[in-house]
Amino acid sequence: MIYSLLILSPSVSGHGSRLGAEFARSAIARGHSIRRVFFLDAATTASSCNSIFAQDELNPAQAWEALHEEHAVELVICISSALKYGMLDDTEADRHGRPCASVNPAFTVSGLGQLVDACANSDRLMTFGG
Amino acid sequence: MVLHTLSAAPSGAAFNDCLKVLQAGDTLVLFGDGVYAALEGTAACDKLRATQAELFVLESDARLAGIAKTAANISWLDMDGLVALTERFPRQLAWY
Amino acid sequence: MPGAEKRSVLVVMRHSPYGSSLAKAAVDVALAAGAFDQPVDLLFTGDGVLQLFPDQDSHSLGKKNMGRQLASLPMYDIDRVYVDAEAASRYNLDTATSPVEAKLLDPREMRQLMVGYDHLLGL
Repeated sequence: MIYSLLILSPSVSGHGSRLGAEFARSAIARGHSIRRVFFLDAATTASSCNSIFAQDELNPAQAWEALHEEHAVELVICISSALKYGMLDDTEADRHGRPCASVNPAFTVSGLGQLVDACANSDRLMTFGG
Repeated sequence: MVLHTLSAAPSGAAFNDCLKVLQAGDTLVLFGDGVYAALEGTAACDKLRATQAELFVLESDARLAGIAKTAANISWLDMDGLVALTERFPRQLAWY
Repeated sequence: MPGAEKRSVLVVMRHSPYGSSLAKAAVDVALAAGAFDQPVDLLFTGDGVLQLFPDQDSHSLGKKNMGRQLASLPMYDIDRVYVDAEAASRYNLDTATSPVEAKLLDPREMRQLMVGYDHLLGL
């Protein structure tokens, strides 16, 4: 089956981001495909390429990057949320005159239409918040 | 049929909102802070069981929370089990 | 969206209008679905009914007025709006005065409503 995921919580707090990534990995292992993971609101901060973690701590956002690298899972952060949280790709940093991008290239910045498209073209939509 | 997932502690609004529409034939999976609703002998757990919905708790999160034993009628499942549930249920509603 | 299928979505609005950005996000999602011609209906439940208070005045705080946003929904052909009657009564909300026309549902009807959609989006 085709799944899409909507992630609402930041990877550094709460459970939603971790559970979403674990769910995606298990779904793929069971033979399903992930059309898209859409990050909305504070969840967009999972795309930060500037997060620093202590040596004995895991950066939970790495689980997403790994899914992208190993399974080409499309990771899309909502542009209007992303801009508010300071998550800019090269294009947006340029457009808004900011010195550098802050988004990990594994993530794509796009609009809510991508979530609508995910809903329209997936058999299952799984939301992870909190 | 609706697959409900609850990831907020039972003292919050999400728990009560979820409880309101939960009914026999539905399934509820507790994970994140939702696992505390699986604690034996608590009012929250009794309320969930009274709905006659099928109840599950995500094993990894129950262990993380230090819940070694959950109430009767609440089954443990792993992430693979959760995916299997979503194959059966056409729609999920997330309470968080 | 070229080649997009249609799947119906019920957005379940559960959060107060200004306490987080989730209510605003939910309306944005609904509007986006409307703009892409995807079938979307709304259910306000729990604290989500607080979005339906009339006379919201966000002007002095530089925030988007949620009431006004909701009032624009019918322009995007989003006109099936439902509200949790119990929650409305808990907050003494008269839905006749709400920015958008909404049908009152009891819990059993809410549950019945939910199974009529392909996807449920709890925001």
